Amino acid sequence: MLNYQLKDKVATRQAYGQALVEMGKKHNQLVVLDAGVSNSTYTQLFRQKYPERYLPMFIAEQNMVGVAVGLAKRGLIPFLSTFAAFLTRAHDQLRMASYSNANLKICGSHCGVSIGQDGVSQMGLEDLAMFRSLYGATVLYPSDAVSTVKLVELAYSIPGLVYLRTTRQPLTVIYDLQTEFAVGNVKIVKKSESDKIAVLAAGITLHETLAAYEKLQTQGIKIRVIDVYCLEPLNVKNLMQALKGINKILTVEDHYREGGLGETVASVLKSKNYLIKSLSVNKLPQSGLPAALLADEEIDREAIIKAVKALI
Amino acid sequence: MDTTKLIEKAKRLRYLILVSTTKAASGHPTSCLSAVELVTFLRFGGNWQESDRMIFSKGHAAPLLYALLVEVGSITQEELMTLRQFGSRVQGHPMPGMPEIEVATGSLGQGLSIGVGMALADKKFLKNKNQHYVLLGDGELAEGSVWEACNLASYYKLDNLTAIVDLNRLEQDGETSLGWNLDLYEARFKAFGWQVELVKNGHDFDEIKKAFLTKSIKKPKVILAKTIKGKGVSFLENQDNWHGKALTEIEFKQALAELKIVDQT
Repeated sequence: MLNYQLKDKVATRQAYGQALVEMGKKHNQLVVLDAGVSNSTYTQLFRQKYPERYLPMFIAEQNMVGVAVGLAKRGLIPFLSTFAAFLTRAHDQLRMASYSNANLKICGSHCGVSIGQDGVSQMGLEDLAMFRSLYGATVLYPSDAVSTVKLVELAYSIPGLVYLRTTRQPLTVIYDLQTEFAVGNVKIVKKSESDKIAVLAAGITLHETLAAYEKLQTQGIKIRVIDVYCLEPLNVKNLMQALKGINKILTVEDHYREGGLGETVASVLKSKNYLIKSLSVNKLPQSGLPAALLADEEIDREAIIKAVKALI
Repeated sequence: MDTTKLIEKAKRLRYLILVSTTKAASGHPTSCLSAVELVTFLRFGGNWQESDRMIFSKGHAAPLLYALLVEVGSITQEELMTLRQFGSRVQGHPMPGMPEIEVATGSLGQGLSIGVGMALADKKFLKNKNQHYVLLGDGELAEGSVWEACNLASYYKLDNLTAIVDLNRLEQDGETSLGWNLDLYEARFKAFGWQVELVKNGHDFDEIKKAFLTKSIKKPKVILAKTIKGKGVSFLENQDNWHGKALTEIEFKQALAELKIVDQT
């Protein structure tokens, strides 16, 4: 049994590998595929524990998706992974998988500029847009180890194509193990009666938002912090419930603007009376320390503080 | 089935392909006609088991697949005649929701990967004797993903997987990069660790039979069959500019006359 404690620092990619090991105990039909990066996606944990159910696919992402469709059609439940960036290479196979009603669970690791030094070729910056547009796909984006484990369990229970986006950097555990997550919902992380603005984020930008929350609080500014852990489908009623009493929204994401979290929120809330501002990756990212890149793209805590103040 | 019966069955499939695509006034009849004998032998040659599986990676040969479903009794000829009509499950390219059709195909170069996944599941996990067959066009062998699948199939020693390549030389806008260079195709598949069976005349049941009945051990098998696009109809055979084109009513009647088929509609 996984036993994460609040304030532990665990990368969601690592929690993904640990969650698979847990799931593997319970579910014999679960098989894991990886395109030659199991020590980065952390599927090596499953590989070590259940070598007979770990299927190396080598560096061939398109074929990996097709093979997973075949395995799924014979009753197995494949979890496949590589860097989020490299899944875009298999866009067509994923598209056809959606038309085949294939029961695939896909994990893209190393999302966003926060991977740091490896540079833009390794950064998943278009993956949310791609998976959101796939027919019938569910898109999940955990922000800590607990939500990763819960969302892996959720992914297993949902039939069809489910995408899970994981982050390279260690992230502080913010949820206790009893927290529940459901498709179509969001999670309020910080809330008070005097909130004037809501900041919606997921993954590493949720943690930047929490840092901004602490600093703004010392300045007497209260923000509601909402974790958008399920981008697709996102239920409008659930979102509006979480936003109750607020009509100003800031979204922050480590992904390009097009098709990402900000556009998801904007499209769900269209024709409703909200003022929405979005922060996203908008410059050509380069190599550097994660914090420097988040700052350069204006999706870090300082950029959030500035944007919140401008919105108020 | 003996050869005489197989020839009759092939004739029947040709009729169903032509009658359905002519009625639909669209589709890829010539890409179906080249693979008729290969598919006829696969299904009626005596080797096929109920639990075996077949994927049409060349999804544009869907009318051949549907014709086959009529002949095995899975769908009616009446339903076949709704090919490509709005609301019909007999769609332009195969979609799940019909007997035997488990996956969507039509985006080329993807069927072999799926076949590898199914064969891998059956061999390694379900441990049964199911055979998996994937029908490919030669045009789609230009897709890199086909060779990714070839590599993985030999890595997992999938001797329950057979790829059947309908080498009709022609793709949509002209000749493929290798044309009918069977030797080169053979060398490539062998380099990827596959057992290769060459069929120099992909419309000759005796040759096809030999290729199908040769067993492979610890290797996936490919049948490379030289075929004629549009086979059986003189004005369609090996012709450019007949890809994705249906026959007119007049051409259809001419074709039936050549095939010595009496229209049964």
